[in-house]
Amino acid sequence: MKLTRTLVLTWATACALCTILWAQQFQFNLDHLAAKASDSVDVSLNSGMLQFAGKFLDGKDPDEAQVKKLISRLEGIYIKSFEFKEEGVWSQADLDRVRNQLKAPEWSRIVGTRSAEDKETLEVHVRNQNGKVTGVAILATGPKEFTVANIVGAVDLDSLADLGGHFGLPSMEKGTEPQKKKK
Amino acid sequence: MDWLEDELKQALGRKQPSPDFEARLIAAAAAAGRRSVLRFPVLAMPRWLAAAAAVLVITGAGAGYRHHQGEAAKEQVMLAMRITGQKLNRIQVQMKGVRQ
Repeated sequence: MKLTRTLVLTWATACALCTILWAQQFQFNLDHLAAKASDSVDVSLNSGMLQFAGKFLDGKDPDEAQVKKLISRLEGIYIKSFEFKEEGVWSQADLDRVRNQLKAPEWSRIVGTRSAEDKETLEVHVRNQNGKVTGVAILATGPKEFTVANIVGAVDLDSLADLGGHFGLPSMEKGTEPQKKKK
Repeated sequence: MDWLEDELKQALGRKQPSPDFEARLIAAAAAAGRRSVLRFPVLAMPRWLAAAAAVLVITGAGAGYRHHQGEAAKEQVMLAMRITGQKLNRIQVQMKGVRQ
């Protein structure tokens, strides 16, 4: 009886894990960083949740209307973002483990910036299938920050870039930090 | 021993209840029922009304929970978009700096 229960629980956990990994286009298991982070954000929204959330977005609000339009063609949004109190918490190996999965021919890096002053690295990778964009990966790291995002679906890059001018973020200027979920 | 047997026969012998026993029993049961209805008024309601109220409460709670979940999902989407927008914004800033 106990063995059966253990087997059922293991099977259910494996199924749940497979569903998440299948939905994401690359793996980013960063649980070891989450334990050390002072602030962390973990967003995991599949297609069903996105469509469900879309019903609660106000079409009259300019920001929400734009987001509603954008998510209508998405199949998932997966983000893990960590901020640390000290430098050197995350290692280059953490970044490489994620970056090494974003390889040609499926993935291509469209933008990569590195600021020597802020020691920041920002990269945008795009996943193409049959000439169509089917996903975007964003890697953003700083001395005290580590962010990985995977937006799955027919991503409209122009609309995504246009988000820079919304949510109180001045376009083409350094924006304010997003509201973080306190740990 | 005869006196003891007589006493026992008399004590354990079948006796007929008084003629008004049945009426008194029914009246007492009815009074007890009225008291419990007075103490718990919900017992006085028809059963279908209680069932309908339960269905309404469950439906309302379900709708409330669904609304809460929807609002939470919306907040997650908006947070995701804020983070994405901020990162893209930083890239634009850095690229602008490089061009200049």
